Amino acid sequence: MSLISLRAVRKTYHLGVTEVHALKGIDLDIEQGEFTAVWGPSGSGKSSLLNLIGMLDAPSSGQVLLNDKPINDLSDDQRAEMRNAKIGFVFQNFNLVPVLSAQENVALPLQIRGMAAAEAEQKAAAALAEVGLAEHAQRRPDLLSGGQRQRVAIARALVTQPEIVIADEPTANLDAENSRLVIELMRDMNQRHKVTFLFSTHDPRLIDKVGRLIKLADGQLVNGEQA
Amino acid sequence: MISLKLGLRNIWKNRRRSFTTLLAVAIGFTAINLFAGYIHSVYTGIKKIAIHGEALGHLTVVKRGYYTEGKLHPEKYMLGKADLDKAMALIRAEPGVRLVSPRLSLAGLVSNGRASTIFLAEGEIPEDSVKIRTGSVRTPPSMLNRDLPNAGLLSSDLANLLGVKKGQTVVLMSSTLEGQTNALDLEVQDTFNTGNAATNDKFALLPFAYAQSLVDTQGASRITVLLDPAHDDANAMRQRLLQKLNAAGLDVEIKTWLDLSLFYKQVKNMFDLIFLFLFTIVFIVVLMSITNTMTTSVLERTREIGTLRSLGMKRRKIMELFAVEGAMLGLFGCVAGLLMTWFGTWLVRIANIRYIPPSSSDEVPLWVNYVPEMQFGSLLLLAIVAMLAALLPARRAANTEIVDALGHV
Repeated sequence: MSLISLRAVRKTYHLGVTEVHALKGIDLDIEQGEFTAVWGPSGSGKSSLLNLIGMLDAPSSGQVLLNDKPINDLSDDQRAEMRNAKIGFVFQNFNLVPVLSAQENVALPLQIRGMAAAEAEQKAAAALAEVGLAEHAQRRPDLLSGGQRQRVAIARALVTQPEIVIADEPTANLDAENSRLVIELMRDMNQRHKVTFLFSTHDPRLIDKVGRLIKLADGQLVNGEQA
Repeated sequence: MISLKLGLRNIWKNRRRSFTTLLAVAIGFTAINLFAGYIHSVYTGIKKIAIHGEALGHLTVVKRGYYTEGKLHPEKYMLGKADLDKAMALIRAEPGVRLVSPRLSLAGLVSNGRASTIFLAEGEIPEDSVKIRTGSVRTPPSMLNRDLPNAGLLSSDLANLLGVKKGQTVVLMSSTLEGQTNALDLEVQDTFNTGNAATNDKFALLPFAYAQSLVDTQGASRITVLLDPAHDDANAMRQRLLQKLNAAGLDVEIKTWLDLSLFYKQVKNMFDLIFLFLFTIVFIVVLMSITNTMTTSVLERTREIGTLRSLGMKRRKIMELFAVEGAMLGLFGCVAGLLMTWFGTWLVRIANIRYIPPSSSDEVPLWVNYVPEMQFGSLLLLAIVAMLAALLPARRAANTEIVDALGHV
């Protein structure tokens, strides 16, 4: 049983009278514990693919299955609960809440789940320590560097112990050194916690660091995608 | 909890914008509460004028039909001596009643020997008259004197019209109940201002026994009842007394001071309308200020909304976030407004402003009462209005597609 399965998934966007076919019939399986990159040029459909797997968007046709269960027909609330319980997100622009400290940001998904603030903050502190930011726990995002913010985002994605972390271009706003550090941190978390990582990138320097590479071009998988 | 934390911190983060919104709410709150405090003081004042100044008392007991037919057939609608004594004894026995006094209304001509003019008069028991008429905003400078049975008070413009002064004598002419003309000398004990330009040139206050002699009766046209301050629910007392008097075989009706004071009702209706107008304006200002602020906030935080949704926050929780923030803005604005209202009230009081109200001949102080129930009621109401004002932008925030929100620049 695959963790994620996509069956003939298509995604079409309507821009006025123009139809943009972002994904053109994708069949894909992602297994538990993989460290996988989706690689392709801009406009190849990487973000669309990640949005569908992360339940942030719905396919125009085809099926997305999580642990063999279709997620297309879930209600909005059920999808929200599933995202909170099973999926962690890391974004290109870090997307930390500016009025909350690093620790409060990391505690946020736990509090959304309904966990008491004290317990959530305790777990958040431990998660921040694991990404090497214990001493910055009380700082607001605007007082952290780009690399530190992305590590906070990784701690936030992992604090709920999700089955999969989805990262859309996590290194796009980082310099080469921070990009390397962030990818190494994600790889380290993948190996220590056996959590699946699926991230998109168009940076060729990161390709040799992934366990599996999925190549996308013009909304379709490119043959020989297995690394 | 998370809603409160995010709301508070976002209000503080955007403190300049928040301050402008809070100020609009606070000024609106202050305006309606200062005006409410002012009209409350006006209502209190004109209630006192009605009960004590117009000497309506809290309740007036008359023979049934007196107010519709009494002027045409006064002899049929007078309370005879037996009924009067019986009713007064029953009313006096009721707990909460402070004073029961018979009254006689009459009209006729008053003459100085050379010229005559019409008069309207009230016959009152001197010692009761003092009790009833004391406590008004305008207390007559002089009262009837029980030791001067043939002396009365003339309104100042009437005295001026007749050219008579304190100590001089006039002649009062009126019809008896049987329709005969009767006349009696009256010593002008003093003059006074009725406070009402329409009555100040024709009103006279007479001793009750003198008025009875003039119309040749042992009865009274009505009974005035004054209640203890602790029991001044006139409606409740009216019900109790009516049951009691009817059960005793007395065919009477009872009016409260509110039923009889047309002036009070007119003033109250006018101020209530002005208040409604003012409140509507404040309501719209608060609604628009909060909606504008929250719309801007939603726009600025669209990506944050997308992030929260991707972390698993449900749509209704997103709505709650913004609704709570809007309610907090409203609440803080109202609390600031409450402090401004207290300060404004104090300021008006120490300024000692005085003015002459319409149809009045006396100056009265401009006074603002503290009305806690109004202040806390409007605080609650405006906080709810603020929350409702935030709901529309909050709904838009909640309904934004996650992918669109995350891609918002």
